[in-house]
Amino acid sequence: MSRESERLFDTLGEIGEGMLAPVLEQRQTSQPLKWKRWAALAAVLVLGVGLWRFLPRMGGSSSGGSGSSGSSVFMSYAGPVFPLAAVEETKQVTARREITLDFSPWEPVWISNEQQVEAYTERGASAEEAEDYRKQLEEWFPDGGYESTSTDILVRDDYLLTNTGSADQTLTLLYPFASNLEGLEQLRPQLTVEGEEGETALRWGGYSGGFQGPLGGDLTTETEKGSVNLRQLDSWSQYQALLTDGSYLSQALGERETLEGIPVTVYRFTDPWGPEEETEEIPNPTIRVTYRQPEKTVVLSHGFHGMSRNEETGEMGQSFSIPQPQEPRYGKDFYFIVIGEDLEEMEITGYNTGGWDTTQQVEAGVTVERYQGDLDDSLRQIFQEYLEEYALPSAAEEMWYQQFVELLLSSGPLSGQSAERYASGWLEDLMSEAKAVSRVFYLEAQVTIPAGETLQVTAEMTKNASYDYACAKTENRGIYGYDLVTTLGSPLAWESQRAVLEDRGQIEIVRQNFGFDLTEGHKMVELDPEEGHYYLEVRRKEK
Amino acid sequence: MEDSAIVGLYWERDQRAVSESDRKYGELCRGLSRNLLGSREDAEECVNDTWLRAWNTMPPQRPGSLRAYFCRIVRNLSIDRWRAARAQKRGAGLEVLLGELEDCVPARLNVEKELEDRQLLELLEGWLRELPEEDRDAFLRRYWYGSRVDQLARRQGCTPGQMSQRLYRLRNSLRQWLEREGVRL
Repeated sequence: MSRESERLFDTLGEIGEGMLAPVLEQRQTSQPLKWKRWAALAAVLVLGVGLWRFLPRMGGSSSGGSGSSGSSVFMSYAGPVFPLAAVEETKQVTARREITLDFSPWEPVWISNEQQVEAYTERGASAEEAEDYRKQLEEWFPDGGYESTSTDILVRDDYLLTNTGSADQTLTLLYPFASNLEGLEQLRPQLTVEGEEGETALRWGGYSGGFQGPLGGDLTTETEKGSVNLRQLDSWSQYQALLTDGSYLSQALGERETLEGIPVTVYRFTDPWGPEEETEEIPNPTIRVTYRQPEKTVVLSHGFHGMSRNEETGEMGQSFSIPQPQEPRYGKDFYFIVIGEDLEEMEITGYNTGGWDTTQQVEAGVTVERYQGDLDDSLRQIFQEYLEEYALPSAAEEMWYQQFVELLLSSGPLSGQSAERYASGWLEDLMSEAKAVSRVFYLEAQVTIPAGETLQVTAEMTKNASYDYACAKTENRGIYGYDLVTTLGSPLAWESQRAVLEDRGQIEIVRQNFGFDLTEGHKMVELDPEEGHYYLEVRRKEK
Repeated sequence: MEDSAIVGLYWERDQRAVSESDRKYGELCRGLSRNLLGSREDAEECVNDTWLRAWNTMPPQRPGSLRAYFCRIVRNLSIDRWRAARAQKRGAGLEVLLGELEDCVPARLNVEKELEDRQLLELLEGWLRELPEEDRDAFLRRYWYGSRVDQLARRQGCTPGQMSQRLYRLRNSLRQWLEREGVRL
């Protein structure tokens, strides 16, 4: 074999995630359930109501690169730092900006094994668990610890706003930042006016990216058709396209849609039971619910993780593995929320596995309750149950719910342009995704600038780097990018902008258009607001 | 456990990050490494190293697809291990795959260019995109994941001989694709 074939093999290792995903997805073996004896639920009642018929516990029944303006396109793009904006259009208020990029988080911090064990114990680990952890750490870090480093930077974004008019100006200031709900706690800026932290409201726009086909994500060719995968924004120019016409901001500041008052039919499935014996023939006892779905009906479900659908005939099916006592979903309920005409010919059967090709039925069943409800109430109830497993800080729960509803309405089954990604109607997918997808948030604050006077507004925040994954052998591995936009989305009249670099002796500049020169000590540069976008790409300085 | 929760454990420096990773993706990673190295013990070590690499890279990283992230790490570590073993003149399973890929190496032409890695990657992805789904699936399972020919044959409902023929045809197709572009590897 030759160097060439090895190079081919290496390069093949870097193919895009979208193309690779189907291979890895299908390779993952479903976790065989270790079925334990449990008999308590064997005598569960089965309730049959409405249009559907239920066939319980019957063994024989039928059922169961290079980016714009010279910056790189990173695999993970953190989004630019945006300029301060205002809701009101005013030419009487001029703005000067000084932004400082501070690399102090890059300075290494020594974390000893002892510290890690202590922290683990404080989180509730037992003495035995702590000892196991200590042994693991000693194996991994024989020097007694490791140097922790970060690739975040601290950003201080200072503004001097001057009212050049003869009357006082009251403005609704907006400070935009890119984040998702998961990252909000870390990335939310602190906004101060004249050094005081005032009252701010948090607004947000919808998911800022789009969707793409299973083979999308390539840097050079057109995206494949389809909407199975997320296509998050990966360059500043995509943010430019998102924000330029103002519609995204209007949506962020506008009234939110509500699902209150929409009637639904709810099926609640509780206490699933199945075979008591663990056997090789029944590795994964599964409840399968089949039904006929009227054409315009939408079904949202919770807890199900298998699906079969025939759009032409309307014959549908969903399934779930009967949870074992040690599994997260044990004791939890499963739901169908039906919007529109009710389902018909519902049948429920147990099967030996979750595969839709199996015909081996087993004795299994589930209690079913059917009732009429309100869509918002029903979703909130399911959302609360979901929170028991995947909690966020309580202050963010209502925001999470609203972002979940927005995703449901904009890209989910309730949207006129539903993405294939959510075609299953599985609510977990949407709830989980709502906190992970990127969007632009806005901190909103009211200020009054007296005539002829100046006001200082400052935003301070942590900013994540843009980067290529460490395991990817791309030319940008080990390089971290940070960028800003000068005027995008801001109606302020800009007098000047300036950038300051606090490199802390930690970095080497790889690419930039700021004009910093570390060897000459040029760490403060004037920016041209007409330039639109500035970027800085660095690597860690070798010791 | 959801991927985002596992990533959260890494960020919180919580030891359960490793056990949850292993529980969810350990078998997938072990299978990949075993395919490339032909050794259960070496594969086990590569997977352990994968968790360490993950521990050292999260934070700051927050991978979008944890599955692909782990698989890329374990694949690269396995290749590194294979190279180290080759330097010590110990054999390992990757020779077979690389030997097969020799069929894809373009013949020397008068007009040729040596591509940057990224350009070569774009060409490869372009070729893969042109393939019918079953062919792409077979090629990637063989040369990305290192699956055995008989496993691929069983998966696609053909004989191992037919699968070997198909892979041979695909390798030739890739070589022609690269030659058409005037590429030197």
